[in-house]
Amino acid sequence: MYDVIITNGTIVDGTGARGFKGDVAIKNGRIAAVGKVDGTAKRTIDAAGRIVAPGFIDPHTHFDVQILWDGAARPALEHGVTTIVPGNCSLSLAPLKASDRKAVVGMFQQIEEMPPEAFTQAFTWTWEDFAGYRKAIEPGLSLNVAPLVGHSLIRLWVMGEASQQRAATPDEIAQMQDLLRESLKAGGVGLSTSYIDVDENGRPVPSRFAQFDELDALCEVLGEFGRILQVVPEFYDADLTIARIDQLAELSLKHNIPTTFSPVFDSPATPKNSPRIVARVEEQFARGARVWPQMQTRPVDISFSFLRPSLYFARLPTWWRTLRQPLEQRNASLRDKEVVAKMLAEADTNMMTQGMGILVIRGGDNAPAGYVGRTLAEVAKERGETNSQALINVSLENDLDVAFLAENVGHADTSRIGPMLAKPSVHIGASDGGAHITSFSTYGDTGFLFSEFVRKSGDLTLEQAVKKITSDTAEIWGLADRGRLAPEMAADVVVFDAATIGRGAERAVFDMPGDGMRYVRSATGIDTVLVNGEVAYAAGDYTAAKAGVVCV
Amino acid sequence: MTLSKQRSFVTPGPGETVEQIAARALPGRPTQKAVDDIKSWNLHIFAMRRPPGLLTGSDVVFVEPPLG
Repeated sequence: MYDVIITNGTIVDGTGARGFKGDVAIKNGRIAAVGKVDGTAKRTIDAAGRIVAPGFIDPHTHFDVQILWDGAARPALEHGVTTIVPGNCSLSLAPLKASDRKAVVGMFQQIEEMPPEAFTQAFTWTWEDFAGYRKAIEPGLSLNVAPLVGHSLIRLWVMGEASQQRAATPDEIAQMQDLLRESLKAGGVGLSTSYIDVDENGRPVPSRFAQFDELDALCEVLGEFGRILQVVPEFYDADLTIARIDQLAELSLKHNIPTTFSPVFDSPATPKNSPRIVARVEEQFARGARVWPQMQTRPVDISFSFLRPSLYFARLPTWWRTLRQPLEQRNASLRDKEVVAKMLAEADTNMMTQGMGILVIRGGDNAPAGYVGRTLAEVAKERGETNSQALINVSLENDLDVAFLAENVGHADTSRIGPMLAKPSVHIGASDGGAHITSFSTYGDTGFLFSEFVRKSGDLTLEQAVKKITSDTAEIWGLADRGRLAPEMAADVVVFDAATIGRGAERAVFDMPGDGMRYVRSATGIDTVLVNGEVAYAAGDYTAAKAGVVCV
Repeated sequence: MTLSKQRSFVTPGPGETVEQIAARALPGRPTQKAVDDIKSWNLHIFAMRRPPGLLTGSDVVFVEPPLG
């Protein structure tokens, strides 16, 4: 007797092969049979009129903290995601000495917008090494986790404060190699590093102080295990990104490892950039290097209010500093004529004032009803102010609790993005799941892939789209028993309606520790999600199943 | 497969200054001119970064202007 049979569905098995009518049988957490299945099961799921596909794999997330209290990485699981890769961009939660926790918490708050309460109220620190972190998360997992080891953490462990000051000595590099080796043995899927991130004080994160020979030495260890290197490059500049591609290609060829970088953004302001980047990747692939560019499906939206720091102001230092002050001080600064004059001048100098006009006043508890849904440009004109003046004054007049939305500010031309996503050389990823939580929703990119680029534009067939986010991802990341519906494979399965799968509207919720706010999107068209053979989500509800594992 | 020409770059050595990079990457050019060129080709380090000019070991430092 099988544990589960999913009957009558159209099986899209993840290989790109054309879908076919059939059944999927599951036993002991594994796929037992695919096709016409005879026999009985403890549970039968009728998938008539539905697609039965491998669970989706999200290769770029920052759920490291959230999975300590939410093993489903809500709402990722309900979007059909059965495996996540946290620990990207040089930041993981292990290996981490107790004495260095404060430094790493600061980086997570800065880079991922995690509220401080997430680190003080939601879990107990029980680990220092990578094996300890694995032990802390694994019992509560409803989905699978393939965690990266953060280069900044490795460096911080070995060098302490000097990790953000200088190059490593040969002895320190050898210690880092040992630590990485130990972490990979404990379940790390690879190493992540960053060339752009800064800590809460604006200092480059530790990984950025590494000479190339340090990264080369760490990649030597990756080569021992055949594991992957993930990098976040200076994605705002094509020349810099191409320089990183070339470095990654050398490391890939030398150590016979896969590498990946994320994100690749398409911008109408620089239309030649993303095609140039993809072309360079294809040149390197032709040499035998493996350098996978991750491209997200969704357009870039950024929401913010003056109640919380926002990456919207990353290029405006006075705004950035002022809006990071404690609330009382922030209010005082925003009423200080000298500070405001500096902010306005800075917005003008950076040509941001005009751009602020497209902001839409989306809500917030105190947003004036007459303003909601209108652009800042309209409101500013009505008030006889510049856009940046109106942004400050409307916020101040309403206790800062007015939310603004910069919608489709990049990566929004789907007629350009669809053909790139369809390229075999482009890896669909870079969702940033669980990060930037107060700026935009990082959930639903898989649904958007189907609604926008399968149903609407037809850039990908259903089978191609499924392959992109299942077996392609599993192959790139070395997850040997995931990503396909075939006998002996792990039974990660998603049952969905091809006509309605998508992502819901972005909405604010207050479900983070300390009633912290974040933006989320619910799934549409997803019926059932199984993880290692257990139903983890069905009919709109999460189940109590905890069948997820660290799957490396 | 021959790779297409892209901008040449170097990475800083341990403790290396912009003057040392300029001397290494642009030999024969007057020192101040070489430093000015390096700075003008690397605004991501010398203009956009806080503090401007902070060099880190992983930096890409271009040693020629953008290609046409």
